[in-house]
Amino acid sequence: MKSIILKGRKIVEGMVAGEALVTKEPLSFMGSINPKTGFIIERGHEIEGQCMKGKIFVFPQAKGSTGGSYMLFDVVKNDVGPIGIINIEADSIVVIGAIVAELPMVDKIDIDQIETGDYIILNATLGTVEVQKKEAI
Amino acid sequence: MYLTDNEKAMLNGDFGEIVQKCMKVLVTLGDIYGAEKMIEINNVHSPGVSYRVAGDAGLNYVKGASLQGCFRVPTTLNTIGIDSDNWEKIGFPKEFSLKQLELVDAYKKMGAFCTNTCTPYLVGNTPMFGEHISWGESSAIAYVNSVIGARTNREGGPSALAAGVTGRVPAYGYHLDENRKGKYLIELEVDLKTDRDYAVLGYYVGQRVGKDVPVFNGIKNRPTLENLKALSAALASSGAVALYHIEGVTPETLTGKVMADNFETFKFGSEEYRKVTEKFNYDGDVDIVVLGCPHCSIVEMKQIAEQLTDKKLKSDMWVCTSRQIKSLADIMGYTKIIERAGAEVVCDTCPILCPTLDKGYERVVTTSGKLAHYMPGLWNVKTALLQLEDCINAGIDGEWRRGI
Repeated sequence: MKSIILKGRKIVEGMVAGEALVTKEPLSFMGSINPKTGFIIERGHEIEGQCMKGKIFVFPQAKGSTGGSYMLFDVVKNDVGPIGIINIEADSIVVIGAIVAELPMVDKIDIDQIETGDYIILNATLGTVEVQKKEAI
Repeated sequence: MYLTDNEKAMLNGDFGEIVQKCMKVLVTLGDIYGAEKMIEINNVHSPGVSYRVAGDAGLNYVKGASLQGCFRVPTTLNTIGIDSDNWEKIGFPKEFSLKQLELVDAYKKMGAFCTNTCTPYLVGNTPMFGEHISWGESSAIAYVNSVIGARTNREGGPSALAAGVTGRVPAYGYHLDENRKGKYLIELEVDLKTDRDYAVLGYYVGQRVGKDVPVFNGIKNRPTLENLKALSAALASSGAVALYHIEGVTPETLTGKVMADNFETFKFGSEEYRKVTEKFNYDGDVDIVVLGCPHCSIVEMKQIAEQLTDKKLKSDMWVCTSRQIKSLADIMGYTKIIERAGAEVVCDTCPILCPTLDKGYERVVTTSGKLAHYMPGLWNVKTALLQLEDCINAGIDGEWRRGI
């Protein structure tokens, strides 16, 4: 099976595995998502209409409202949130949400190597991301 | 990271569980971002006070904290999800409203001042140049870092709460000189006049620079407080801008060099301007006009009242402001004029942070880049970003036609 190992920086420790949801556009947990359903609602966003529930959520960085910390915490508590987060550059708003939600998270990852649907083994404690490409699975 | 004996005691739980938990959040943040030490602070503005944002997860978090802890430093509260006096009249759902009041009570119990506004700098929370603070509310962060020259990172609800409880922030990011330098220089090729012009500029540049520091060059007329409020909000909506500089205007440009050694330059001309105004525009009926994002200053309240004198609105209109500014507007007679025209003066909240009301709104006009950005997703509406005069006229006519 074809797999790639990417090395980044631990933000919040933990290990999870699951399917990737990837966007190349920045995102705000306040305003870009519905915390009751986990769907992306920002108009014209690359992944508008997709759901982050149970996914390892891959996006470059956060933008926008500082309400995003509690919104991330809330979406996770509502069981419709992501199970892990991978960023290029971790914005403090998402980091703070991930800390209180105890959500495994890494940054400094070349997210161009990951596509939606790839199977990801995220070992945030070690800062590693194993990507199993979907065509190979 | 280096901790003083007192900070170590906080982390060890000598001051109780909540102080320990808060210190842990701050140390974790400090470790991630390479902070060498903590900085003592004396000023917090807490975001995450709207129940729409905090949800039950946030409500339980703050209620838990309020059982054991209190704020050691003066802490003001950001915009909430209802008008705390008029929620029944405006039609906010009862269940949501009661949860919201519970959340505000928990913060109040911790010692926060219930300012309930995104413009704390207009109601007495005005830090000094160079002062280290812990602020949430993306628009207020950009304002206070840039226009006042105080120093804060982009704080979320839990980290601002932690700063309030411990009186500390980890020394990283915008607290340090080296991170306050401009990475982009924007050469202005258009004259900016209205708040909308500044919102358009902010929206375009926020999208281009993301979380980096932009520096504006070539702004000819001195911007007003309201111009800068609009710019700050837009920069922090399309992007994550926490700090900007304006050559010859904002304080750090007057006290030293603001450009980093390496920076990129781009222009903002009429073509760039049009890209934003085309995104936020439509022709047709106007269901509601929303003004006051960020919350109206007293000057804006005056302008709105002047234009609405002896007029009747066909569209609904919300004029959002803080309770403190409304008190002054009451004294000045502005509130009465605005309400007589058929508008609602809404305190404590805004359409971004209140629950989406089922009023059949489809088309909105606003002066705010922030609102134009968030409302389509949150309310399932179209937004047009217009200058104040056009917004009010559109509300009086009940429609907006481009080019009129």
